[in-house]
Amino acid sequence: MSKPKIAFFDFTSCEGCQLTVIDALQTNIELLDVVEIVQFREAMSEKGEDYQIAFVEGSCTRPSDETRLKKIREQAAMVVALGACAHLGGVNAIRNRQELDDVRQYVYGDKAEWFETYPARPISAVIPVEAAIPGCPIDRDEFVMVVKQLLQGRSPVIPDQPLCVECKLKGNVCVYLRGKTCLGPITLGGCDAICPTYGDGCEGCRGLISKPNIESLKNALEEHGLSFEEAQAKMTMFLNYQMMELEKETAGNGK
Amino acid sequence: MGLKIMQKAAFPGWVNRLCASCRVVGPKPLHGQYVFDDIGAAEELAIDYSTSVLPPKKYILPQREELLYFKGDQIEAVIEEASQPTVIMGVHTCDMHAIHFLDRVYEQGYTDQHYLARRENTILVSIECLRPCTESSFCKDMGTLSITEGFDLHLTDLGDEYAVDIGSEKGEALLDNLEEVSDPTSEDYQRVNRVIAEKWPRFHYKLDFDVTELPSLLTASANSDYWGELGDRCLACAMCTNVCPTCYCFNIVDEVDFSLNAGQRTRQWDSCQLDEFATVAGGHNFRETRAARQRHRFFRKGKYQWEAHGLIGCVGCGRCAEACLVHITPVDTFNQLNLRRRKATAEVK
Repeated sequence: MSKPKIAFFDFTSCEGCQLTVIDALQTNIELLDVVEIVQFREAMSEKGEDYQIAFVEGSCTRPSDETRLKKIREQAAMVVALGACAHLGGVNAIRNRQELDDVRQYVYGDKAEWFETYPARPISAVIPVEAAIPGCPIDRDEFVMVVKQLLQGRSPVIPDQPLCVECKLKGNVCVYLRGKTCLGPITLGGCDAICPTYGDGCEGCRGLISKPNIESLKNALEEHGLSFEEAQAKMTMFLNYQMMELEKETAGNGK
Repeated sequence: MGLKIMQKAAFPGWVNRLCASCRVVGPKPLHGQYVFDDIGAAEELAIDYSTSVLPPKKYILPQREELLYFKGDQIEAVIEEASQPTVIMGVHTCDMHAIHFLDRVYEQGYTDQHYLARRENTILVSIECLRPCTESSFCKDMGTLSITEGFDLHLTDLGDEYAVDIGSEKGEALLDNLEEVSDPTSEDYQRVNRVIAEKWPRFHYKLDFDVTELPSLLTASANSDYWGELGDRCLACAMCTNVCPTCYCFNIVDEVDFSLNAGQRTRQWDSCQLDEFATVAGGHNFRETRAARQRHRFFRKGKYQWEAHGLIGCVGCGRCAEACLVHITPVDTFNQLNLRRRKATAEVK
């Protein structure tokens, strides 16, 4: 059996997830025995266009991104969103709640009109995606696990569980008991609860679990001293795209 | 098997001696709470701890454990080696009752060889609680405020000394050749009795009814509106079950290496509070709502376990109540159900 050919692509992102892939390759060198990397701008000069699996980092933030994403989709048998930007729109989607002209003005100043841009979206809003590896950045072990599952011909499964599960299994003292707040109860786990383990509350970079109890968590955040604005800011850093979609849904149901 | 008296001044030296000969675990302070962890020297041990984040259950039923390795058709089971025993120091009586409960579960029917091997390899040094550990504990209601058996050694703090109740030969062996241990005088027996008698009034009943009524109360409350109210609040974060000393549900996961032909099977704690827990093949979830899952949890603790194992599945440690960010507690739940049942009965009359 010939090795599956894989390629990496980046859109609006910091490319930290691809760096994590390079890091994962250092400790899982066997990966290179089972796949052939044909395109990976951050790690090699060659640019093969003959690939079966495409890993895409970054969100779609301008019309020209759509053309490129569609071209990748045409070539690849499988497209995997790599990291929070591709998976959720990432922090890029914070701007979706603001006036786009103001945002462009703020970032590009008097050159604002040189740059095309529109609300940031996850790549799944533009093309069908077979799987997503969440996180900012991705978890290297989870990346390896997903690749193994793809090689087995299975659809990658990330358990639909909140971060609190693995945090508690590690025996961590809840950060709420340490005077901080955390989005763990509504955020998809799988990161080994890395932030609470080091004493920081979860910021939600891995996205929402499928049925989050957001209203109840908002009450808990308020009880722990967060104002409405602070709670809103916390919930719209990584989760803004998902939150706005939920708001649209709720508004739709109200009609 | 007999009572001994140990000078408290000798306690650290004794713990250090144990640390040198076997694995010792016990409560340690961490960020204002306590966790059970490996003890390298007596000064790390916080024997007068309140409660722990996770119960000592984790040493007998670990959060994650390998069950077997496979390669092609070859399967090799992993069983804990009994070479070096683990001494768990400072187990509170509620957790002792919980371990007794787990023993019954894992010994019945298909016995669990992984659990039993670890259990056989574990030495329990329990300690008498002389004051309530947290606001949420309700051990007095659940009848877990003391124990008479099941320990290898049981300590009672007498001030300058510990009364050491020997519960097994394994326990007795831990005290071998210890000079600072003596036989009790009749006055010592009286002191132990006095300490126990004095502790009792410090603990308060929290349930508005007797615990023997719990199974029937739950039966009568199956369709209570209260479950829906809990479901609205519940975050389904599973902290309640993950900190519970009697929860024993697990999931099994197979992982392969890059050959895709070899790998390992692991099991890890699972929780009935998670959305996926009751999802079966075909995608049907027979406990889809948080309300149904909370009801299931309390029914397990207060009714199903009683029916299956003859023991109430809650030991009143209060960990779930302390952990819950939205204040769902067994005491409030049981009392609310009791109140509503009484009101409903009164209305019928």
